Amino acid sequence: MTNNLYNKLHAEGLISDESFEKIRQKEAEPVLFSLHWEIKTLLYIGVLMLTGGLGLLIYENIDTIGHEFVLMLIAAICLGCFYYCFNNKRPFSKDRVQSPNSYFDYILLLACTSLLIFVGYLQFEYKVFGTHYGMATFIPMLALFFVAYCFDHLGILSMAIANLAVWMGVSVTPKQLLLESDFNSETIIYTYLVLGIILIAAAYITQSTAFKKHFKFSYQHYGIHVAYIAMLAGYFHYYDSGIAAVWMLGIFALSYFIYKDAFKEKSFYFLLLVVLYSYIAVSSLFVRMCIGIRDVAAFYIIALYFMGTAAYLIVLLINLNRKIKAS
Amino acid sequence: MIAYNKTWLANLRLQDEVEIDVQQGNITPDEFIAIQPKYLVGFYTPNLFVRIGLFLLTCVIVLFGDGMLSLMAASGHIVDGFGWLFFLGLLSYAGLEIIVNNNNHYRSGVDDASLFITQCLFIAGFAIMLSKNDGDSHYLSLSGLIFLLTLYFSIRFTDMLSAAIACISFFALIFFTWTKIVPGLSTVPFVMMLVTGGVYWLAQICGNRKELINYNTSLTIVKLVSLLAFYASGNYYIIQTLSAEMTGKTDPVPFGMIFWIWTILLPFAYIAFGIKKKDAVLLRVGLLLIATAVITFRTYYHVLPVDTALTIAGTLVLGIVYGVTKYLKTPKHGFTRAEPDTINSLDHLKIESLIVAETISHAPTAPVNDGVKFGGGDFGGGGSSGDF
Repeated sequence: MTNNLYNKLHAEGLISDESFEKIRQKEAEPVLFSLHWEIKTLLYIGVLMLTGGLGLLIYENIDTIGHEFVLMLIAAICLGCFYYCFNNKRPFSKDRVQSPNSYFDYILLLACTSLLIFVGYLQFEYKVFGTHYGMATFIPMLALFFVAYCFDHLGILSMAIANLAVWMGVSVTPKQLLLESDFNSETIIYTYLVLGIILIAAAYITQSTAFKKHFKFSYQHYGIHVAYIAMLAGYFHYYDSGIAAVWMLGIFALSYFIYKDAFKEKSFYFLLLVVLYSYIAVSSLFVRMCIGIRDVAAFYIIALYFMGTAAYLIVLLINLNRKIKAS
Repeated sequence: MIAYNKTWLANLRLQDEVEIDVQQGNITPDEFIAIQPKYLVGFYTPNLFVRIGLFLLTCVIVLFGDGMLSLMAASGHIVDGFGWLFFLGLLSYAGLEIIVNNNNHYRSGVDDASLFITQCLFIAGFAIMLSKNDGDSHYLSLSGLIFLLTLYFSIRFTDMLSAAIACISFFALIFFTWTKIVPGLSTVPFVMMLVTGGVYWLAQICGNRKELINYNTSLTIVKLVSLLAFYASGNYYIIQTLSAEMTGKTDPVPFGMIFWIWTILLPFAYIAFGIKKKDAVLLRVGLLLIATAVITFRTYYHVLPVDTALTIAGTLVLGIVYGVTKYLKTPKHGFTRAEPDTINSLDHLKIESLIVAETISHAPTAPVNDGVKFGGGDFGGGGSSGDF
């Protein structure tokens, strides 16, 4: 059937003889059925089951095995993996470095996870850092950032960012952000704001110094979510005082800034985030205005507002998408 | 029958196919650009992010529109009945037809959202309409109505979700009909096996028909659902629980031996056929169902403690993976372990990094001592939820 298609395209003069010959050759070869994803998934499940089973075995027999042995085992895994990675890594470069083989990334991931478990175990069982909880997260964080840059691994970078957040006393991944966070505390809101600004700043330093440019996405992704959520939380926290206006202004300033950048980078993902978060902000202002009207008419106005603005936003998104594609 | 322009659908398929060859380097990008105007696709199909954004915004519009209409009509007592839901459903359906016919939206988020909401409204309407009858007797007619509704929408809009629901409700329809006609439950599993197997066979045949090529993705979903249902209709745990619930007795299942064989061996049969026919759906469903078979077995027979079982299973799986990887170092029998060389539209590295962060970011957490803890602050989600 494919052959018919290309015969037709060739007859219509849309495909050159050279390309047609290539297609012919490709079709002469047998089609290979790729088991790549099946193998990878099975590998992942196998590792999970094995580590889970061994972990349970150790957990149930901890009295006879002893903590020292477990710690040594984890340390051995960690060191072994790092040894492998350092021996097989490609030379450092300021740009993206491809990993030497498909298992390298996973081994590095195992090394970093076991490092975190090791430090956590040490702190939990022996209180190595005493009550300096900051140190217990600060040291792994430095190590993770170093590993992420040294081996050029985006996954580890995300782990490092999450650790930075933990060190500052908050969590950063979107799921935990919404599940566990407690936005009624002022310190938490300010911590989030500082974290968001640090991350966005890191994104721009990455960009302007052209040092590991592809890391920008991770920094900006976490930075934008955290900063927006912190500022919206700040706005609702100081809802009744005048400071709320400052938070609102902050949101609009950030939106303007990210909007410009998203256009420059042609990133529709960030543009969508800007539009949706700003929409939440504007809508909350509007609802606040309407809620003063103690009448059923307020609901009509709000419903009309949402229908109208949402329809407008649909048109806006479609046009922005065209503009980004065209530019 | 299909709401979308058929020539454009065919051209879209052609362009997709050529695009794969562009990525593999068989066709130059210039040629691809030359092909595009000749085989024009007039649909509006934006990228994934736009699609998500449009989906959310359409939901906001319909939600507030329906809310406002209901409020306006509330004084007349017409909102109380199921008829009102049908009215709202018809309104969104009309909107959907207009969007698809006049604005040429195809998988743009707007049509996805309106299709989804339309079906939800109608199904809710059916459920309220029939629940007036006492007891469970309305399940039969409910599943029949849902089947007809979703079948219509999956035929008209070639939608995968509708196809899946249509398939499930069809199986439910057969199940309720049979239990009503024939007393006793011992024949039900065999009837369900016949029906689900038949549907899979039909989907397989239809998938090869040229005139049904627009339904290829829907038929894949139907195949997936019917394979799962085929397994479920012979699974020991499901049969035992269902019959215990419907008769109120916990007797051992008649023909138990047959169902145990079915439970354990069918996943392997799926995998064997999947490998023989190079069918990804069969193969993946088979792999998934092995886990189900193991769990079913362990619910009745505790042979090994969890830790040893997990360790042995993990070692076994890793051993198999190692063996397969070694065996397929060079492609054999038309199988390869290399990555398929079509590029994903999303850079999967970035997605992967986000998944890593979600699953393994529970780093040693320091206890935070910052004053009193209050209840969780509730906000977000449309910017409208918390205020009313």
